[in-house]
Amino acid sequence: MLIYIVKRLLVAVPTLLAVLTVVFFFVRIAPGDPTFIILGDQASQQAIAAVHHELGLDRPMLVQYLDFMSTVLQGDLGNSLVTHRPIWNEVANVLPYTIELTLSALFIGVVLGLPLGIAAARHRNETLDYAARIFSLLGLSFPAFVSAIMLLLAFAIELHWFPVISEARTGDPLSRVSALVLPAVNLGLIMVAYVMRVARSSMLGVLGEDYIRTARSKGVPARVVIWRHALGNALIPVVTVVGLYLGVLIGNSVLTEIVFNRPGLGKLIVNSLNQRDYTMLEGLMVIYAFIIVIVNLLTDLTYGLVDPRVRQR
Amino acid sequence: MSEAQHPSLVVDGLTTAFRVEGRWYDAIRDVSFSVAKNETLALVGESGCGKSITALSIMGLVPKANGRITAGRVLLDGRDLVPLDETEMEKIRGNAISMIFQEPMTSLNPVLPIGFQVAEALRYHTALAGEAARARALALLEHVKIPSAARRFDDYPHQFSGGMRQRVMIAIALACSPQIILADEPTTALDVTIQAQVLALLAELKSETGMAMIFITHNLGVVASIADRVAVMYAGDLIEIAPVEELFEHPMHPYTEALLSSIPRVDRDAGDLKPIAGQVPPITAMPSGCRYADRCPLRVPRCTKMPPLVALAVDPKHRVRCWVRAAEESANA
Repeated sequence: MLIYIVKRLLVAVPTLLAVLTVVFFFVRIAPGDPTFIILGDQASQQAIAAVHHELGLDRPMLVQYLDFMSTVLQGDLGNSLVTHRPIWNEVANVLPYTIELTLSALFIGVVLGLPLGIAAARHRNETLDYAARIFSLLGLSFPAFVSAIMLLLAFAIELHWFPVISEARTGDPLSRVSALVLPAVNLGLIMVAYVMRVARSSMLGVLGEDYIRTARSKGVPARVVIWRHALGNALIPVVTVVGLYLGVLIGNSVLTEIVFNRPGLGKLIVNSLNQRDYTMLEGLMVIYAFIIVIVNLLTDLTYGLVDPRVRQR
Repeated sequence: MSEAQHPSLVVDGLTTAFRVEGRWYDAIRDVSFSVAKNETLALVGESGCGKSITALSIMGLVPKANGRITAGRVLLDGRDLVPLDETEMEKIRGNAISMIFQEPMTSLNPVLPIGFQVAEALRYHTALAGEAARARALALLEHVKIPSAARRFDDYPHQFSGGMRQRVMIAIALACSPQIILADEPTTALDVTIQAQVLALLAELKSETGMAMIFITHNLGVVASIADRVAVMYAGDLIEIAPVEELFEHPMHPYTEALLSSIPRVDRDAGDLKPIAGQVPPITAMPSGCRYADRCPLRVPRCTKMPPLVALAVDPKHRVRCWVRAAEESANA
């Protein structure tokens, strides 16, 4: 298992380097010049040249690239063009909110989606199965911002159970949790739909396998057959979907953070876009790419936990 | 080694139906036989003749979604298993009756260590738990001759060859010393040399424990080497049952005759092989009478009615389901 982890870590390194390279050239190719943001569009040629020199933009591309790579690899993402504060600080301020939102959505998705998918597979073509499938289709078809608004209307505005505007930046843990519930449920329900679907179909496949018949022929009780013999095998595709969907979840969290007015990475991205904060966007892209690489790494490591055949490779 | 002994398992009039496109069809009908302690009954026939369905019906493992036992009894020491519910069957499966399956490559759970899979059978049927179950499971693996079993106890199925996996399956089936073991083509998926080893192991274990065995195969060579009696199935009907030498020397049913003369032999030309003309009818178009009638050289009008399984006067241990042959034999007697 240790060798497997080391191998996966080594593979992640070139991926990350490639991502940094793409981000660097992507920002250079994108139209627009950051100097206009700093100086306004009436600036003189000398002023522009001076800023270019200050930002190092007059140097050859390759020198800029090597410089970018070495500073990023040292953990320095530079300063925001707008606030002039270090990007790391801006990100570190809001990152916990995005992490708590994503993890609670993931938790809701797995804790509800997995048993629902298993139950649907066990009761294939019965009422429970149909209900679960209709629910999951609804969950998959609703855009996150629509369901967010509906949740707000029902539970915040009509029922007053939760705050309309999340005062997430608070020291009081209870109000922080209460501000988290609706956004987490909003993202979590979509996750439930994904997890349920894949858990159901993978469970149906596994229940037809020979080794399930072997377990039953040993007299293993039905409950144990499902939860130990079938689930262990059915989890492999579920892990894949959860891993892939974490990327989508981070994208959906942008919309959710805006509708619920929560601080977070998504909110930061939209603000930087509005203010054309190029260095901030560059930094955020690096951070998102980093998160995705980490998630993929964790997904691969989870495979190793679930499937002994993967561990050996 | 005969039916005169107290039978361990009696199958009586067993009929199992499957649903095909909304309609129910009998996959096996009126199957009756018994197996005594210490006896090996071979169940032979070509693919799809209902051998495996017979075994799954005995085990109560017919898939509920589209299959069900519609008639008959399965008596284990006089107790009928057919009406038992799932919880009661769980106490019997792997305990009094166990089964070995055809595909060792897919019959073991890939994500559980093999030692665990053996110990699991003990956990639900015996008082053994924890270290005691582990020790007993290890002894079983050693008994079925898994090399360095202690070191390999926590290995996973993919680390074992097909023959070794089938040994593990045998260890699982033997774990609770069952009265009867159903072996569904246990050697078919294995190389010939490994086949011989597994057959020898099964024979050895059976003589040690005195259990009864139903050995399902389509390989008549294997039948000759392992069976005491043979039951021949065709298209869901049990058509002939006899002690092994008797069946090979005096096959009565025209299908059994044809089956025996379609075995390739080294001392004969391939041109002498007689394949059986025609095809087994599909399950949706089975005749209600003798299901072999369409391919049978002896066919008479009476064959549109299902013939009974009749014991021969010369040898009551030999029974055949054929109007023509039963009549000939009783006329001669």
